[in-house]
Amino acid sequence: MRVSSNTLFDNNVAVLNQQQARLMQTQLQAATGKKVLTAGSDPVAAARILDVSQLDAANTQQAVNRGSARDTLISSETTLSNVTLLLQDVRTAAVGLGSASANPAARNTVIAELSGRLKELVGYANTKDAAGNYVFSGFQTKLQPFVDTPAGVSYFGDDGKRMVQASSVQQVSSNDSGADVFMRIKNGNGTFDVSSFVPPGSTVTTNTGSGVIGAGSVINPALLTGNNYSIDFSVAAGVTNYTVTNTTTGVAMPAQPYVSGQAISFDGMQLSISGAPANGDSFTVQPSKNESVFKTISDLITTLQSPATGANMTNAITRGINNIDNALNNIVNVRGTVGLRINQLDALQVAGDDVGVQLKQTLSKLQDVDYNKTLTDLTQQQLSLQAAQKSFVKISELSMFSYM
Amino acid sequence: MGNNIYSAALSGMNAAQFGMATTQHNIANANTPGYTRQQMNVDSKAPVATGSGFVGQGVNVSNVQRLSDAYLTSQVRQEQAQASYLNTFLSSMTMIDNMVSDPAAGVSTALQGFFNATNDLANYPDSATARQSVLSNAQIVAGRFQTIDQRLTDISNNLTGQISSSVQMVNAYATQIAALNGTIKRAISVGQGQMPNDLMDQRDQLISKLNQEVKVSVTQQSDGSTNVFVGNGLALVLDEKTMGMQVVKSSVDPSKVEVSYLATTGKSVSIQQNALQGGNIGAYLTFRDQNLDPVRNGLGRIALGFANSVNQQNQLGQDQNGSLGGSLLVAATPKVDQGINNTGTAGITAAISNVAALTTSDYQLKFDGANYSMVRLSDNVVTNLGASLVPSPTVDGFTVNLASGAMAAGDSFVIKPTSTGASTIALTTNDPAKVAAAAPMRTITPLSNIGTGIISAGSVNGPAPINANVQSPVSLTFTSATTFTVTGAVPAVVGNVAFTPGQNISYNGWTVQISGAPATGDSFNIAANTNAMGDSRNALQLAGLQSQNLMLNGTASLQGVYSQLVGQIGAKTQEIMVMSTAQDSMVAQVVNAQQSVSGVNLDEEAANLLRYQRAYQAAAKAMQIANTMFDQLLTLGR
Repeated sequence: MRVSSNTLFDNNVAVLNQQQARLMQTQLQAATGKKVLTAGSDPVAAARILDVSQLDAANTQQAVNRGSARDTLISSETTLSNVTLLLQDVRTAAVGLGSASANPAARNTVIAELSGRLKELVGYANTKDAAGNYVFSGFQTKLQPFVDTPAGVSYFGDDGKRMVQASSVQQVSSNDSGADVFMRIKNGNGTFDVSSFVPPGSTVTTNTGSGVIGAGSVINPALLTGNNYSIDFSVAAGVTNYTVTNTTTGVAMPAQPYVSGQAISFDGMQLSISGAPANGDSFTVQPSKNESVFKTISDLITTLQSPATGANMTNAITRGINNIDNALNNIVNVRGTVGLRINQLDALQVAGDDVGVQLKQTLSKLQDVDYNKTLTDLTQQQLSLQAAQKSFVKISELSMFSYM
Repeated sequence: MGNNIYSAALSGMNAAQFGMATTQHNIANANTPGYTRQQMNVDSKAPVATGSGFVGQGVNVSNVQRLSDAYLTSQVRQEQAQASYLNTFLSSMTMIDNMVSDPAAGVSTALQGFFNATNDLANYPDSATARQSVLSNAQIVAGRFQTIDQRLTDISNNLTGQISSSVQMVNAYATQIAALNGTIKRAISVGQGQMPNDLMDQRDQLISKLNQEVKVSVTQQSDGSTNVFVGNGLALVLDEKTMGMQVVKSSVDPSKVEVSYLATTGKSVSIQQNALQGGNIGAYLTFRDQNLDPVRNGLGRIALGFANSVNQQNQLGQDQNGSLGGSLLVAATPKVDQGINNTGTAGITAAISNVAALTTSDYQLKFDGANYSMVRLSDNVVTNLGASLVPSPTVDGFTVNLASGAMAAGDSFVIKPTSTGASTIALTTNDPAKVAAAAPMRTITPLSNIGTGIISAGSVNGPAPINANVQSPVSLTFTSATTFTVTGAVPAVVGNVAFTPGQNISYNGWTVQISGAPATGDSFNIAANTNAMGDSRNALQLAGLQSQNLMLNGTASLQGVYSQLVGQIGAKTQEIMVMSTAQDSMVAQVVNAQQSVSGVNLDEEAANLLRYQRAYQAAAKAMQIANTMFDQLLTLGR
């Protein structure tokens, strides 16, 4: 084939251009460490890189979310553990009083201790986090949740739970509302609450006997009515009888002879009264209601300040201790869920880290240069460019005009 | 006899000189673009009859031939038109490709930043910094969209300029070709049928250059002139006459230019743009209409999806001031352009109704006098809208509204639902308090409840606008374990409502669930979420938009659509790159073939130089010998 002199040059220029472009591409890959320099060089990988990067960024952000939730939970766990210790102290003080309740000085010491503890407890309930937000006020973090009002310590927060996105599918709440921790505590045994009869408008019982009532229990949940009852005692000719009356419906059950310590059962409930109730003494049985831990402690204080003695004092203190136990149980439950949530976050953290490693590996496979291959390519391309240059110079020297 | 020797030798010398001149012309033009190698053709002169037979009279230069192969020339022309089309297309595509490939300039990282900020806000809803960060990151997203859109606009404006200059060059080449047609015709008649080789080279070269601007077809005339046609057989050069091309506003879409044909009468004739294939103009038009505009629309669609979804969610929440949330971002409304030939009075507006259903196409609304129809311009799918635009019809996620007047038969409007999405997106507020992190209502369980019923935190029913009574207090009071009454709902609820644990309970635009066993007399309240600095329910929803499939009829997330867009741009770039590389080697092959016929080989010319030198020397020697012979003859007489 006839070859025109220009073709010789043109083809060589084209080859050199191509080789240089290829060399530059490889050099750029080696320099940046990136395999995919533009979307055009590998469209599928480029799109995948964007998707995987976003998954990775979201995964990293979820780790941040978990961290923030963990911090909050750990600080509220610390507060709750302090509250537990405090309530245990309160309980010890109340139990210790049992024998010495007749002694006014001992009573005053306990009153002073309980009052101090109550203030301390309100302080814990109003804990703020590092940013100055109330921990136990639900959504209203700038509002002091627990305030001592004439009606007792009241809750002004709400039931709001702050959730964080702990993984792509799971949300974990990082707080507990003050209502759930301090206020929503069922009194009595959780189903019904027994107490000495207190006439409406008064805070003092009118019982005069030595009847002491236990907290009781549920023996048949199916028979529970949720109604109010009264247990009224009558003593006639040395014989003590009691009558259980459903005060909600007004239906009285037949009178029964009273034996100290013997179980009294009605409508699925069972309780026992010991001692010697006087004629006209009465005990009330009501469905359990929510009673705040503050009310429990301040009721104890009120009782200790009252002139009550004997069985009435015993009943009040027993009831108080029972309710403090309920409060302790509730706090323990809340701490349990806090612990569970921290565990959950830790488990998610492990899973999240694994996912992160996988994503980073995928990303690396998609976008990172294989240096062995790239550097080999570079050397090879360099070599062929040199060959093209040298051979071209040689060929271009060949001209007949040189010999004329 | 002696005379005969003289003249034969002279003809040899003449022929050698002629050959030398041709060779030198070849050598001189070895590097002239478009030059075709020439070759002297000779034949022997007619012999003179003598009694002893026919005696030769020497050599005759019959012509100087241009060694050109018409088939190869036209093949080079075709392949070069395709190559210049692909090269121009590739360099345009590469601009977009580089732009989206730069992670720092892309939308992806900005979106991530925004959603990270919303997650941080969900973690710390009472933090002023987190709130500000959401707004700043929204600003970054908006800025990113605008920057990319601006660069697309720059490319587009640049294209308009390039189309104009290409069209000017087409007209200039056409004029020059017509002029050369005249010159060549006259040269042929002056040269008595001999071809003016170099002029023909010039004309071929001009046609080749013209062909690189726009693909043309060529027919040779017997008188030596060449006619040039463009598009679907529109004459650009006829003999010595030139028609031209012109850049005009598109009749379909006045925001664009199109190339029209300028007839001899000076009248501009609209031509199908897709008939202008090949060459730079073909590349510019194809790139603009089939790549640049869809990319801009694709980007606009993501911007619209982002703005609409964020606005929607923010409107379902409550801002830091306790007011119901508003829009945070400006979401574009579709751009509507009136056809330039419209005769009716209609004013048409359009609105986005569903971002998930949007496509990246532009649309044309047409009225034929009886019925309206909507043409999706990307694939020409026609949706018949019936005889009336009331009520406003919805096509592919947007609604068309006849705002005023009436369309006349033949009127058209171009509707671009997404083209301004990326350029329009911006923050509507600089006040971080306007970020709605909280939900507007909350549920309250009174402490006096004795049952185990638990009410959920509640959620607000989308889509926005939100129910006006969402913050009104509502109480659900249980009248038995299985029934409750509702107070405060609008409209009022009379009597008992049956209760199933865990069922959705929806009034006033919210939904709650109650689980467990509420006791008779228990109640649950729903009220305004006042003072809710610590509520992050809506911030969580905002953050959740990241993974929601908001786009493409619920099949892709915002990030997913962006990745697809980048993938599409990359795939197109790669496709063109591969085609362009293949085409370049195709061109190299046919040019090699053509050059092997028409190109100058300097070694060959060097040999020719020697050949003609020798021929001249030999002929001159013959002349000298004849002279010596004559001298000899003359000495005889002394």
